[in-house]
Amino acid sequence: MPDAKEQITTTILAVIFVLLFFGVLFIFMLSYIHYRRRQNAREKKAMQDQFDQQLMQTRLEIQEQTFRYLSEEIHDHVGQLLSLAKIQLSSVRDTEPVDHGLVKDVYANVTRALQDLRSLAKGLHAGHIRHFSIREAVDEEVQRIRKAGGLKVSVTSEGEEKKIKEEKQLILFRIIQECLQNCLKHASASNINIGFTWYAEQLRVRVRDDGQGFDTEKASALAGGLGLENIRNRALLSGGSSVIHSRPGEGTTVTVQIPYE
Amino acid sequence: MTLLYFQYFQLLSLLLAIVCRKGLSSFSIGILIPILLVDNISDLLGANYTRLFHSPDNYFIFNLYYLVSTPLYLYLLTIMLKADARERRRILYVGLAIEAFLIANYFFVQGKMPFNSFTALLVNLTNFVFSCLVLARLALRKEEDSHLLIDPYFWINAMILLFSLVSMIALGLQKYIALNHIQVDGKSLYFALMQAANAALYTGYSGAILLCQMQRSK
Repeated sequence: MPDAKEQITTTILAVIFVLLFFGVLFIFMLSYIHYRRRQNAREKKAMQDQFDQQLMQTRLEIQEQTFRYLSEEIHDHVGQLLSLAKIQLSSVRDTEPVDHGLVKDVYANVTRALQDLRSLAKGLHAGHIRHFSIREAVDEEVQRIRKAGGLKVSVTSEGEEKKIKEEKQLILFRIIQECLQNCLKHASASNINIGFTWYAEQLRVRVRDDGQGFDTEKASALAGGLGLENIRNRALLSGGSSVIHSRPGEGTTVTVQIPYE
Repeated sequence: MTLLYFQYFQLLSLLLAIVCRKGLSSFSIGILIPILLVDNISDLLGANYTRLFHSPDNYFIFNLYYLVSTPLYLYLLTIMLKADARERRRILYVGLAIEAFLIANYFFVQGKMPFNSFTALLVNLTNFVFSCLVLARLALRKEEDSHLLIDPYFWINAMILLFSLVSMIALGLQKYIALNHIQVDGKSLYFALMQAANAALYTGYSGAILLCQMQRSK
């Protein structure tokens, strides 16, 4: 009999220990799940912080670049024209009769300066972009370049045009503007093609020129070189991606893919 | 007056609860003080009942204890579950149904004098289920800076869960153990198990109370 009792005691204790084991295991599992969730949340927050920081950095860079562009444009175009007009006007003396040819020249220079200013303001102001589709905004930009002359710019489109989120459209437009500026300033290109491909979920824009090209690795290493980093950052900012392909003597192709939403 | 060893842990937790009542209130679990008071009184009476009232057993005390403590425990668990209005209403219905069963068992089914094993089983099963729910909710909550191991709710519920598991077996087999004189080290297996489980439970409560106070001080 004592053996039987011992057996029962052992069984009861074993059952209790097994149950306790599962109870403790359950508690540990929950603790582990909680720990993992906290860790994930922390990682997510760190990533978000890093992204926000990058975003801020990119915004500052964009702002900096815009100011630089503005300063260069005013200095090189409007400033030059107005300086010329000032010099022309300073040669006019009260005692001498009015030189109508000179006045016409001054008038023409001031008009051009005004046109340049308007064009500059239009290119910088995001408001008008919001009223057009990306295609229309790019067409207008292309018209501006065509008017300046010296470059053949073509725009092609494949697929059905879709609506892009407003902020993304603005970012994409700035990327295309940046590419065109690079072509004008550095590429010595004679032809530029802007190709739109409308996919189901995203838009691909390819800006291709037949200019002198460059070594992308070297250019990336240079701080602020050709604004390549800006193109990349802006594409990332809108949830997309960018690929810059170029080789000396082979022209440059910038491909940007941006989701519609 | 006899004091079993687990009752020192019990008394300690009651004293801590009274001293740290503001800490408990800051976690909305001030109800722990009346719970510990009922636990202490019933265990104190239970330990001395046979000697004082010349009764063959103390089951009467514990049958009454379950009737009184069950609503208090359910209330505590509902608070820790952070139940919304709809859940609270459901828990209230469940609680009323359980209490109705306990009263019916006490008066009409098993009676006042014999140990109400059905009651013990049901109460421990309920505590087990609710503590599991509270622990799951604590683990899956969204607050990033919450740390489970320093959460008083975690320790209270972990201990209730483990205590309920042991109790379900021990109380369920209580009659069988008593009839067959199943013993460990010369003591009834039932007492050995319940004392150890109680000691662990009240140690957990004491820790949780201290955590409440520490976090309130911060």
